[in-house]
Amino acid sequence: MTENNLLSLIIFAPLAGAVVNWLIGGRLKNEMFSGLVACGTIAISTVVAFMIAFGIGTGHEGALVAEKPVLDHIWTWIQVGGFRADFGLGMDRLSGIYACFITFVGLLIHIFATGYMHGDKGFYRFFAYLNLFMFSMLTLVLADNFLLMFVGWEGVGLCSYLLIGYYLKKDEARKAAKKAFVMNRIGDWGVLIGVFLIFTITGSISFYDKAVDGAQVQSVFTWIQANIASPEPFGWAAVFAGGMTSAALLLFIGATGKSAQIPLFTWLPDAMAGPTPVSALIHAATMVTAGVYMVVRCNSIYQNAPTAMFVVAVIGCATAIFAATIGLAQNDIKKVLAYSTVSQLGYMFLACGVGAFIAAIFHVMTHAFFKALLFLGSGSVIHGMHHEQDMRRMGNLRKYMPVTFITMGLGWLAICGIPIWAGFFSKDEILYRTFAAAGLPEGWNYVLWGVGLLTAVLTAVYMTRLMVMTFFGEERFGEGDADHGAGHGDDAHGAAHADGDGDGDDDDEHHALPHGFKPHESPWVMTMPLVILAILSTVGGLVGVPYALSSLVGKGDINVFEHTLEPVIAKVGAGAHAEKAPSAGHDEPKADQHGSVPATAAAEKGAGHAAESEPAAHHSPEEIATERLLAGLSVLLALSGIGIGVAIFGRDPLKKLPKILEDKWRIDELYNGSIVDPITEISRERLWKGFDLGFIDGMVNGIGAFVMQFGNAIRGLQVGFVRSYAALILVGALAVLGYFIYFGFKLLS
Amino acid sequence: MEFLQNNLLTILILLPVAGAVLTLAHQMFWKQEGQLKWLTLGFTTLTFVVSLLLFGSNTAGASGYSFEQNVPWIRAINTNYHVGVDGLSFWLVILTTFIMPIAVLSTWHAVEKKQTAFYVFLLLLESAMLGVFVSLDLLVFYLFFEASLIPMFFLIGVWGGENRIYAAVKFFIFTALGSLLMLVAIISLFYIYADQTGLGGTFDLVAILDAMRSGNLSITPQAGTLLFLAFALAFSIKVPLFPFHTWLPDAHTEAPTAGSVILAAVLLKMGTYGLMRFNFSLFPEQSREFAWLFITLAIIGIIYGALVAMVQPDVKRLVAYSSVAHMGFVILGMFSFTEMGMQGAVYQMLNHGISTGALFLLVGFIYERRHTRQITDFGGLANVMPIYATIFVITTMSSIGLPFLNGFVGEFMIMLGMFQSQALAVTSAVNWNYIAAMLAGTGVIFAAVYLLWMVQRVFFGKVTNEKNRALADLSWREIGIMVPLLVLMVYMGVYPKPFLKRMDEPVRALQQRVMHPAGGTIAEADHR
Repeated sequence: MTENNLLSLIIFAPLAGAVVNWLIGGRLKNEMFSGLVACGTIAISTVVAFMIAFGIGTGHEGALVAEKPVLDHIWTWIQVGGFRADFGLGMDRLSGIYACFITFVGLLIHIFATGYMHGDKGFYRFFAYLNLFMFSMLTLVLADNFLLMFVGWEGVGLCSYLLIGYYLKKDEARKAAKKAFVMNRIGDWGVLIGVFLIFTITGSISFYDKAVDGAQVQSVFTWIQANIASPEPFGWAAVFAGGMTSAALLLFIGATGKSAQIPLFTWLPDAMAGPTPVSALIHAATMVTAGVYMVVRCNSIYQNAPTAMFVVAVIGCATAIFAATIGLAQNDIKKVLAYSTVSQLGYMFLACGVGAFIAAIFHVMTHAFFKALLFLGSGSVIHGMHHEQDMRRMGNLRKYMPVTFITMGLGWLAICGIPIWAGFFSKDEILYRTFAAAGLPEGWNYVLWGVGLLTAVLTAVYMTRLMVMTFFGEERFGEGDADHGAGHGDDAHGAAHADGDGDGDDDDEHHALPHGFKPHESPWVMTMPLVILAILSTVGGLVGVPYALSSLVGKGDINVFEHTLEPVIAKVGAGAHAEKAPSAGHDEPKADQHGSVPATAAAEKGAGHAAESEPAAHHSPEEIATERLLAGLSVLLALSGIGIGVAIFGRDPLKKLPKILEDKWRIDELYNGSIVDPITEISRERLWKGFDLGFIDGMVNGIGAFVMQFGNAIRGLQVGFVRSYAALILVGALAVLGYFIYFGFKLLS
Repeated sequence: MEFLQNNLLTILILLPVAGAVLTLAHQMFWKQEGQLKWLTLGFTTLTFVVSLLLFGSNTAGASGYSFEQNVPWIRAINTNYHVGVDGLSFWLVILTTFIMPIAVLSTWHAVEKKQTAFYVFLLLLESAMLGVFVSLDLLVFYLFFEASLIPMFFLIGVWGGENRIYAAVKFFIFTALGSLLMLVAIISLFYIYADQTGLGGTFDLVAILDAMRSGNLSITPQAGTLLFLAFALAFSIKVPLFPFHTWLPDAHTEAPTAGSVILAAVLLKMGTYGLMRFNFSLFPEQSREFAWLFITLAIIGIIYGALVAMVQPDVKRLVAYSSVAHMGFVILGMFSFTEMGMQGAVYQMLNHGISTGALFLLVGFIYERRHTRQITDFGGLANVMPIYATIFVITTMSSIGLPFLNGFVGEFMIMLGMFQSQALAVTSAVNWNYIAAMLAGTGVIFAAVYLLWMVQRVFFGKVTNEKNRALADLSWREIGIMVPLLVLMVYMGVYPKPFLKRMDEPVRALQQRVMHPAGGTIAEADHR
């Protein structure tokens, strides 16, 4: 066990930044000060995170290569009986990757935001919240137990609430904020109950085996490896059995809330009412991927719960295509990206569901790069367009904003899945693993793969539409409000105000762009992060090139990403499932070298099957051929998607699309009509006015009779010897009561 | 100093009484009501400071209680003035003395009529509440329990809102009704004890429990059930447990701010405290037997309170209904009969006192400014009163149960306790304890809904009502009241250990007594 107290600096530096900005920044009202504090503290986190992750100057192996996690026990939070929740941090390979990209992308977005939020009255408040968010997010991923993870989990929800509602005066901002918080809370319920169940089953909530205060703490996953011999059977029974499947599904409820999956996804697009850097940081790159983190962290639970895996895969896949169809028809640039995020998150869960946990994390990382880039790019566009978000009033912006155009163009290639851009490798990996998945019911892997592929086409189409409408074609920003407001006006109109009302009471005035308006390129603090993210979106995928593709260009196995994460993925060894366990494909012959102790123990248990199937599963010629074929197919489809996009929207950027898509399949209306309104109505009319005021209080009005009857009943029931005394006392006490009421009334009147 | 140590609890009870006497005297001789609040503030603060001496409570006697005093009071009926404090009552005593100065400060300018009486009642109320938490003699306990009613009755009825008389009478009838049955039960116990031990009757809790443990006293199941129910009814009304809760919204809404704060922070806890102290220890079998009933009612209360809170047009009434939901959690934790759940329940009593007390204070602040509490009269207050809005949001988050604020720790422990509870029958098909915890968990969702919805409508958006445009932000006095509460919210959320440690032993003993009454009661319950 490696201890490193620097670990706590990663989370506490942003917290300190938040406090300083709140207490001092609020008085100084100096943008330079607030910006420096915010970015400076994140820079500290970033440096420390990279130091520990790569073992630079820390005197121990980097967390990304070490076998054991780097731990830091800070204090014991709750300890009752056999339950203990520490405020303790741990960085292993999984949380190391997360910590690195969160701090790095976070830093870039902070820098971008100093330019974007320039001139806003609440500048210090914004950065205080943003730093607080970083504290929560890093607590979430670095926590060494479920409960502390839940602290971060709720904390990011709170910060998201504060930041979505940042524009206090905007009506839909505060509604979106509340909606986000409540939907997240519904998910949190699942996490909480899931944690209860896990603790009840395993007697632990810790992620790592560790020694604290002289006591040995066994991790949840070690317990599972040691005690669960084979995955639970597939079917409904397992869901309610109170075992691994139940726990996995409960946790997944939380993931659907935080990561905006069906059915709890509707908050994320609304959350775009917040400032754009917030959308980039929280609602694209980091917070929304927390659900994926949790599922991958708990992969040993999921692998023992094939039913839950199936549910995760289906929900992920359904969300992916569903959100893509909506994204197709949105006119607000940020809404398109929001639905795109929901859709991409669906891919990640699809990956988890088919057992490709590493591919999921890979996609989390590449998505963080290109989606942060796209969001910041859209922020730059919005900034340059003086807070216009409606793409119908943009066009030909490449002329005015070349840097933004080029960088966003690279992000567009990445998300469409064009080789060698980052999105290609991660998305392709997911699709291939889905195709090859064996743990699903017969035939489902092809269904899921097909839907995933179709989503990829749609992704290319709507992203191309976005690029065309924004950067190509005619300049439409001089035009009036002619087509504005019919039916879809609400969102676009409201969102268009996004940044206008920081400075006074003028927020009601519609800022129709003046005639002869010319957009402008953004300052360097905003374009610099764009450039860096564009580079990462371009080359960032190269850390995870699969063997099937790297061997094409004569390289060996250079999939660094996969090898880094392999030890994190538990090997569910014994039982028939092992043969077709989707995770088996990840197992290297040398896996037992860097596999942790429990994993090895389990591997031994199932040695018979595992030893045979694992080496064979990797790099077999047929598989490599299939993988190459599928990769080629998805590239073709991506290109055709782009072609379709150009063909349709190049000619008519304002082409009307089906109303139902523009209305987001009317899911919000469905939820309001079938859940929210009835509950409110019943609460008001039946419970409050009916039961409380009508029934109970009605009864109280007849309280005299009630007392007498009750007294009689009691008297009759008594055992015997106290009867007369009790009756006497009751009468006496009633007299005293009457006396008080009588004199009370006198005093009152 | 030694005198102080030896008579600490008595001194604590008598200090506010002395303050009340002085207040009356002051009024008689100087007739200057303006100084009374200073006098009251002085005495409540002094009581708080003296109560801090309790922290040195390593003086636990043979019975497990610290600062114990036991002197004969009325020999004819063998009742003793027996007081003492243990881990169960310790924090409640501190909470009481802590909240009183805050309550006094909260109505610094608000009380205009009959000031003398107002402060006298406040001080007498404090004495009564302290007496309730430290009494170890059933009759003395009953007297304090009833005595606390009278000042509160007048606080609501004289200084309350428009509908105050209805609310005060309702409050009185509900609570007095329950406690009358308790009195019957107390007297029954007296005679059962006399009958079985042949030692003459006693009201002394410690003596009765000793007799039960040694086997000299065994109450028949039938009698035990009746007695249990009589006690439980009194306490359930006080809590208040669904469906006895309807007095609470009226009482809270009509009471002056100080009254609401004390009611929420301390008075309701007398119910939950009573259940733990008396019902669990005197009637362990019945407590276990009826656990399903209380758990069911608690869960209904949690969900019901939240749903009804959601549709309240009045902020104060909304907070009152949220109290019903929160107290449901306390009951749930207690009746889970797990260490986790029971400790969580005691912890949640403190949390509720602080968070809900703080919410009532905050509602009071705005009521003093605008003389309305209707949500629709506000909107956009964050623009006008940023400090107020910030404090309000933090308090709301504490009440919602956000991690690292106090409410979370309590609710988490309660729900985990319930989840692992063995108080409910487990059939092969259904683990009712799981279901119970899951249902209770929905209350956490609803809490977010109704509180955030209220916050959204009151604070965010534009200033819709012109009358709100010129509102002054919080004064230094008001900020000063809130700061200690905010500090506690964070501290108790981040580092609950010192609190939990003190309640650890008595709670475990109680849990053992209820869940393993046959074997090991004596050995394991031997903290006393």
